[in-house]
Amino acid sequence: MAMKVARDLPRLVAALAVGAFALLPTAGLPAFYDSFLYLVLFWVSLATSWALLSGFAGYFSLGHAAFFGVGLYTTAVMATKFDVPFLLTLPAAAILPALLAVVIGAIVFRLRRLRGELFALLTLAVTFVIATIVLNTPIDGGGGIFMSAVPLPSLMPTPTGTFYLLAFVICVTTLAIAWKVSHSRLGMGLFAIHDDEDVAEAKGVPTFRYKLAAFALSAGIAGIVGGVHAMFVGFITVAGTFELTVPLYVVLMSVLGGSRSWFGPAVGAVVITTLLNSFNSGDQAMLGRAFVGFILIVAILWLPDGVVPAVRKWLKRRPTGAARAGAAVAPVVASTKPAGDRTLLEVRGATKRFGGLLALAGVDLDVREGEIVGLVGPNGSGKTTLINVISGHYPLSGGSIALDGRQISALPAHDIARRGVARTYQIPRPFMNMTALENVIAAATFGGPSRSPAEIREESLHWMAFTGLSGKEDMLPAGLNLHERKFLELARALATKPKLLLLDEVLSGLNPTEIDNAIRLVRAIRAQGATIVFVEHLMRAVVELSDRVAVLNEGKLFALGAPHEVMRDPGVVSIYLGKAYAA
Amino acid sequence: MIEQIGAWRRRRVLTGMAAGTAVLAAPALLRAAPSGKPVKVGGTLSLTGFLAQTAGIHRIAAEIMVEEINSRNGFLGRPVEYVLLDDQSKPEMARSLYEKLITVDKVDLIQGPYATAPILAAMGVAQRYGKVMIQSSMGIPKLQTYDRAFPATPFGPEPDKTYPNVILDAMASIPTPPKTIVVLTSKFPSAQFMAKGMQKEAEARGVKVMLYLEYESGNHDFGAIAARVKEANPDFLWVGSLGLESNLLLEALRKLDYAPKNHFHLYPAPGPLALSPDGDRALCSTFLEPDEPFMSRPGMKRYAAEFKERATKANLPYTTIDAQACGMISEWQMLEAAVNGAVSLDDAKIATWLKTHKVDTVLGHLRFDGPYNHGDASQMIKQVQHKEWKVVWPKEFAAPGVKLIAS
Repeated sequence: MAMKVARDLPRLVAALAVGAFALLPTAGLPAFYDSFLYLVLFWVSLATSWALLSGFAGYFSLGHAAFFGVGLYTTAVMATKFDVPFLLTLPAAAILPALLAVVIGAIVFRLRRLRGELFALLTLAVTFVIATIVLNTPIDGGGGIFMSAVPLPSLMPTPTGTFYLLAFVICVTTLAIAWKVSHSRLGMGLFAIHDDEDVAEAKGVPTFRYKLAAFALSAGIAGIVGGVHAMFVGFITVAGTFELTVPLYVVLMSVLGGSRSWFGPAVGAVVITTLLNSFNSGDQAMLGRAFVGFILIVAILWLPDGVVPAVRKWLKRRPTGAARAGAAVAPVVASTKPAGDRTLLEVRGATKRFGGLLALAGVDLDVREGEIVGLVGPNGSGKTTLINVISGHYPLSGGSIALDGRQISALPAHDIARRGVARTYQIPRPFMNMTALENVIAAATFGGPSRSPAEIREESLHWMAFTGLSGKEDMLPAGLNLHERKFLELARALATKPKLLLLDEVLSGLNPTEIDNAIRLVRAIRAQGATIVFVEHLMRAVVELSDRVAVLNEGKLFALGAPHEVMRDPGVVSIYLGKAYAA
Repeated sequence: MIEQIGAWRRRRVLTGMAAGTAVLAAPALLRAAPSGKPVKVGGTLSLTGFLAQTAGIHRIAAEIMVEEINSRNGFLGRPVEYVLLDDQSKPEMARSLYEKLITVDKVDLIQGPYATAPILAAMGVAQRYGKVMIQSSMGIPKLQTYDRAFPATPFGPEPDKTYPNVILDAMASIPTPPKTIVVLTSKFPSAQFMAKGMQKEAEARGVKVMLYLEYESGNHDFGAIAARVKEANPDFLWVGSLGLESNLLLEALRKLDYAPKNHFHLYPAPGPLALSPDGDRALCSTFLEPDEPFMSRPGMKRYAAEFKERATKANLPYTTIDAQACGMISEWQMLEAAVNGAVSLDDAKIATWLKTHKVDTVLGHLRFDGPYNHGDASQMIKQVQHKEWKVVWPKEFAAPGVKLIAS
């Protein structure tokens, strides 16, 4: 009973605090405080909503004013031209921008090149397009919309109190959404997208769907904030709505507070709004703005990841009193199933063109269950391309690929990953802002079979231990050496319990001792019964590890067979060493 | 008898001296420095943000007026304290800061901010607290729906009807009155509002509107618009422009080797247009220019000199007093007159007094008993002549020796 009370007490306190804040306008404070807090909550909601896509997923948007503006004009038009009660306009003010975001995202997110600054510019262009439409149609037409005739419901004793309450509800909801997202599968996927979208997709994150969801959420919140703001401002103009202030402020607030944190943008919004309001006396206006700018520059220079991550980092450095207990390593039952005759992977006539370059020219390859196939060939022979088309990173130009008898060649990479295909990268590509353990957990969550978070964590710890990374769980990839990063790649792949493991030059760049370790590790993986296709240049490893070796040359399967036979094949030798020498 | 006469004379002389002293001393006594708790008058201006350039003008004008009022009797014998805040050119900030002025700073009276959107945002606050709000820069009077909001500039209740006719009257007075017109306008609410009025009134007076075209506010590329103007070749070009848009349009027309015959510009940047080689004979709207007969209005010379001195010190680009500055002066003249007239700081009494009285301001005799608390319209037309703006219409307000020059 006492434990239950202790567990529930923080929640109860939080609920009471939220309730108390909601009722602030009834406390009899001067109305200005309601009004000021409205502006704070307004910016908290806008900045947090921006971070849902741009901070979490790294799709930096300069078009937040577009969605804010669509929401604002939705309320303004519905309330003034169709006499819809103000509160009833708000759902539409959220839904319309969300739909707009889905439509834009459905086009933009399919194009890989539209990332980074191109996405920022595109969203900015969307703002201009929407502003032009609003300005040149009866929605506004240039004359602005005056809201004075729209009745404001009396939710609080004063109109300003009512605005405060509406902003408070939206703000709390927005923060709750941001918290939920950041602690959910969706959030994990978005953070992975932020760090490396291609890898996220290959690890099983449905990147397209997740980005759409984040974009819609972000736009919907901006829209409803706009809907309330239409009434607050009272006179709506295109120039005042679709201006650059909104995107610039939300970016600044999010960057200051920490855009990857659910709470960071809120901190940034509170700080900046308070600062801007602290220097509004006529004598200090210019000086105040300059001072605010100076503080922001200093804060961003010293805290490039934002205030909240910096505080978290500082708290983590402090001794906690007790050493972190070693994570229990769950026993993983090794499969004893030997390599059988059942074909797991069937590659038929796999062709891949990059413009005029034929990287794969009709490769046929069968991989049996439990088998290790070494994939060798000179540089440019198509080895990595074959790995990329099997894993879905590149679509096939021709041919087909089947896993377990089911065609996977037309599937997106995340779907292929979920069907049991895991891969590593020649140059490790961990999610750089996630700890080593979070990297493995993310891969296990999206790529592996459905399990509870606790099971996923236990198994992730196991695979970290299996790959020799115990004790490095909380380290960021930047703190790991190349050897450890390569093994982190392996741990990520293994944590998905793959049917087929694609290893791309896992030994390259390692010293002899590390190579020996790695070979032992791959053997251990094999002992688990995994089916492995691995690309390797180191012949000793190829011969030691492979059941069969496939030699690719100029995009074609040149030879396939037992390692020692293939390596003695004069044709293979000539490919590697040159005809003159071989002769 | 002689003694009696002498005594009588002494009494008369002494009485006369006493009376004379009293008469002479009275204004000095009346002008005694106001004392007691200051009367706080709060307001915001766009000291930062995109409207900041105009705020410098308004601020100087307001400071001149506060000092002048305090050099007289303040408000009802109490000194006036101007509580000025920066609304950052944002209506939401204006709204919030007027809440602050009224509920935290507890100002006794308020003055309106600059520009339509902040004014409307502040007007809602003023209405909730029953405060009188005087403003000088809202170009769409019909939006001023609060019965204690008053204009300090003589737009009149329907400037979209009255002002086009002032312009058309002026055009009708030239040797070859225009028969055709092209109306261009920025899609800025107050400019668009006037442009639609211009189109309608021109048609009503039989002037053929060859082209009505709206462009986005802040447009920089007038090439295509200039081509259409040239093609239409109107007798009169009316431009609902803001800032430098007029300069850009005229430049684009020049590049097409086209000079408009007569051309009017609504709210241009006055200095750049007057100094531009394309700006000669450009027409524009105004309420006042620093010439006669305006300079003979009470206090005007003093305001002009004071403004020039302070504007120079503040490094303002244009140091000559103009209609913008006089709008703010007019605001304070109205407030002072209303407080003294009502003998009260009570907003209801001040509002009632304003609605029932005329106020002499630098912008003329203003009354507030018409629709939207507006009185008579008093728009005028000025023209660039020798790189200076001169009022040319109505004729009685034209500077001495200055006439409207037709192209």
